[in-house]
Amino acid sequence: MSKLLENHIVELLEERNEKAMSLLYDNYADTLFGVAYKVVKDEELAQDVVQESFIKIWKKSDSYDASKAKLFTWLFRITRNTAIDKLRSVSTKTDKEIQIDVSDVYNVGEQSIRPEFLDVKEHLDKIEEKYRIVLEALFFEGMTQQEASEELDIPLGTIKSRLKIGLREMRKIYGAPALVLFIISML
Amino acid sequence: MKNKIHDFLESDLLERYLLGETDNLETAKTERYIALYPEVRKAYDELQDNLEAYVKLHAIKAPEGLKETILHKISKQKKNNSKFYRFAIAASIVALLFAGSAFFFYDQNQDLMEKNTIVNNKIKTLEMDMRLELEDIRNQYIVLNNPNTKKLNIRGNKKAQELKAVAYVNPVKKLSYINVSHLPQLPEEQCYQMWAEVNGEMVNLGVIKQFDDKEKLLALPYADQAVGYITIEPKGGNLAPSVENIVADIKY
Repeated sequence: MSKLLENHIVELLEERNEKAMSLLYDNYADTLFGVAYKVVKDEELAQDVVQESFIKIWKKSDSYDASKAKLFTWLFRITRNTAIDKLRSVSTKTDKEIQIDVSDVYNVGEQSIRPEFLDVKEHLDKIEEKYRIVLEALFFEGMTQQEASEELDIPLGTIKSRLKIGLREMRKIYGAPALVLFIISML
Repeated sequence: MKNKIHDFLESDLLERYLLGETDNLETAKTERYIALYPEVRKAYDELQDNLEAYVKLHAIKAPEGLKETILHKISKQKKNNSKFYRFAIAASIVALLFAGSAFFFYDQNQDLMEKNTIVNNKIKTLEMDMRLELEDIRNQYIVLNNPNTKKLNIRGNKKAQELKAVAYVNPVKKLSYINVSHLPQLPEEQCYQMWAEVNGEMVNLGVIKQFDDKEKLLALPYADQAVGYITIEPKGGNLAPSVENIVADIKY
């Protein structure tokens, strides 16, 4: 996402212009749908989550503060929290336990994946599994570090360091120029 | 300071802040550190970039038609919102009208209450007057109808030979009245005034209005051996009787 386009979307949001939502959808819907799917693990529920998230984004658009978070970070927080809430309300209904299933990373939605993401598995494989598990638990399972520590039976300190190293490894994988190319290819 | 920043970066605050999982206090602290220390800002920006890159790896093509559903819902909501605002404006106008009329009625009510007090006072004064008048008429009736009442015919002296008056005196009820039936015409600047000498004191009974008082009985203060006088005085009446101008005296 170019900074220019991001600024343009933010300006439209501030003006309460519906065009902002169309642009947001075009640029972020697949990623946010991926987030929702990763959390709820159900296509229909994920659709509901994306719908609810976009409506929240529209309603809360005047509360977005560009100095506090990048647009994507803000969108991610809203979608992730909506998905976690959705999962909790469904789990209470079905009394289903939230379980961490690392294999989901590879199984989920691979048919509908974009061609440019075909090397996702390859990319993800480059992150050592022990780090990936922690990233998954924290980013998509809605666990706190304490909960992840208990659930994965890993000491809290290790969770913290694996999160840091895991994120750092991301940079190693893509490197700055590669990351830019990767992002450009997505626009 | 270096230690403080190091400790902050070593803690998981920044990561939790990234995901929106900090409480109010932690959020305030994190935002302060980001604003104050470029190292923290840099770490936060990197975290954001990493998160975006990592999450984008999990992108899945969103289902067909989802965009249209979402945009439709949003524009419907916008319409509802504007409907709500229209309703809110209408409601405000109604409320304003209501407040306006409430004030108008309150004002009118205050005004009417004031008028009501005035009218009540007038009624009380009238009642008092009527009671006094009724009392007077009752007394007149008693005097005129009582067998003990003495009727005294009075004539004027040389100065007013045509003057005719009748006094009624009732020593039992201690009431006296006088009816001046005829008075000679006086020049414009003069008038007749009645007096009574009661127990050695001269009491002013007022000016006799030539025409109005012909039919009326005027009350005289009662006393044994009282004397009434009619004098000619300057227009408007005098404070003390002019003895030289006595036109009639009534001993009763």
